[in-house]
Amino acid sequence: MSTELKKALYNISALVDLGQAITAEDAFQEKIQSALYVITGTFLANKGAILFYDKSTGRLNTLIQKGFDRAELDRVKPQDLISLGKNEPCLIGYDPVPAVAGAEILTPLWVRDEFIGVLLLSGKLNAGSYTLEELELISVIANQIAIVLNNHTLFTDLSDKLEENRRLYEEMRHIYHGTLQAFAAAIDAKDAYTQNHSHRVAKYSAAIARELGWNEHDIEGIYVAGYLHDVGKLAISNDLLNKATPFTPAEYEEIRKHSTLSHNITSKIKFPWKNVHDMVWHHHERLDGRGYPEALAEDSLSDGVRILTLADSFDAMTSQRPYRKRMDVQSAISELKKCLQSQFDNKIMLVFCRVLEKEITGELPEPDILPHLDSDSDLSIISSMLEAIIQELSAP
Amino acid sequence: MKSVPFSVASRLEGDAAVIYPKGYLNNLSGESLVIECGNYISQGITKIVVNFSETDLINSIGISLLLQIMEDLKNIKGTICCTNMSKFLRDTFEMLGLIQHMRVFPVESDALKYLSAGKV
Repeated sequence: MSTELKKALYNISALVDLGQAITAEDAFQEKIQSALYVITGTFLANKGAILFYDKSTGRLNTLIQKGFDRAELDRVKPQDLISLGKNEPCLIGYDPVPAVAGAEILTPLWVRDEFIGVLLLSGKLNAGSYTLEELELISVIANQIAIVLNNHTLFTDLSDKLEENRRLYEEMRHIYHGTLQAFAAAIDAKDAYTQNHSHRVAKYSAAIARELGWNEHDIEGIYVAGYLHDVGKLAISNDLLNKATPFTPAEYEEIRKHSTLSHNITSKIKFPWKNVHDMVWHHHERLDGRGYPEALAEDSLSDGVRILTLADSFDAMTSQRPYRKRMDVQSAISELKKCLQSQFDNKIMLVFCRVLEKEITGELPEPDILPHLDSDSDLSIISSMLEAIIQELSAP
Repeated sequence: MKSVPFSVASRLEGDAAVIYPKGYLNNLSGESLVIECGNYISQGITKIVVNFSETDLINSIGISLLLQIMEDLKNIKGTICCTNMSKFLRDTFEMLGLIQHMRVFPVESDALKYLSAGKV
């Protein structure tokens, strides 16, 4: 085989090497490093550099280099190169090619009409001139390198935009939650006896949903529903909400309007979570169909509604009311159990008991329910009670 | 065919370092060859024997790395000897003109004999 043929085969295999280097799953810097090795290995150049044009600063930055003086590379001016041929190798010293950083040959890198950077080579081992075939090969390689650099720029720009969107989304989420909390504080402030009720119902509901295996997005949804379920109370008079004696039937009727009012208020909001409106509207429904406002029953009640109903009732029972004292935790759990199947769902009750039991035993290191309960409660008695209920409800 | 991951071993023989690359010299892992030689050069070693008995194939990346070693040795007026080369390696080096910038011996002992005779 002639030397020319061998050289041609070597050049073809170098293009294959370049293809492998730039399509590998390596990090960008490693790809570029490999590409420069391929180029310097192909042309036996002991100096090589790839400079990348930064549009925002109008400067050429050295991406990778071997053998050049970095300070000289920093002085390469893009405006000296832009008028030269696109991806065409230019021999230094031939007008109008400027002397650049001691390079023997430079190739401006372009993708369509976009100037991307420059490839520099120098220090050819056998000190010969570049053949026509070699110049053609450099042009082919320059096209590929330009595309790699351009793709990297597009990818980086997209990643930056994605990161910016993520940051904005997180900011929006914070503002959203802040607004919800302000709403909840306004609701709870109307009723001196139910301070932080919305916050606790949100926490309890989220804890039950998490134990039930809901995903984080849906958990956030029920958390929001917990915060907003009583927003309709803003439209109920303070005097009625804080009345120290039991409600008359007419007053009770007025109080019952709050869940529909909550729904009317929140229906104007397009939530990113499903079922928030449903959970807010129906948190006073019962399994036996004797709840309000729509007297829904059984299959019409979603798991979210069932969770919120139980969490709301449990907090109402364990909180002080103007017309009654707060119930101790054992009594509240007994009351929930007494109302299973008529008012509360067995499955949700089982999960609620499991969460509370795990919080008592320390299995859940960040408890959501326990910190809000009466600190004088005897946890061992509550724990025994929960174990018995769990056993009973788990039985086939 | 699965290629053997590239690795480098070495030993000092008198005032010469003998380097044993193993595997296909075709990607960034071959930089370990440059590093290994660089370590000896930084200790003042100017004679390096590269025994290619376990490296049959090389591509443009490997050639570039070898050029780097040759350049580093040239800067200190050192000598590089290549031994135990496969036909493919020898043909490639000849075709590229690398042979003129190195000493080539059939086996490692010949190279060490040449270097110890003080002919460089």
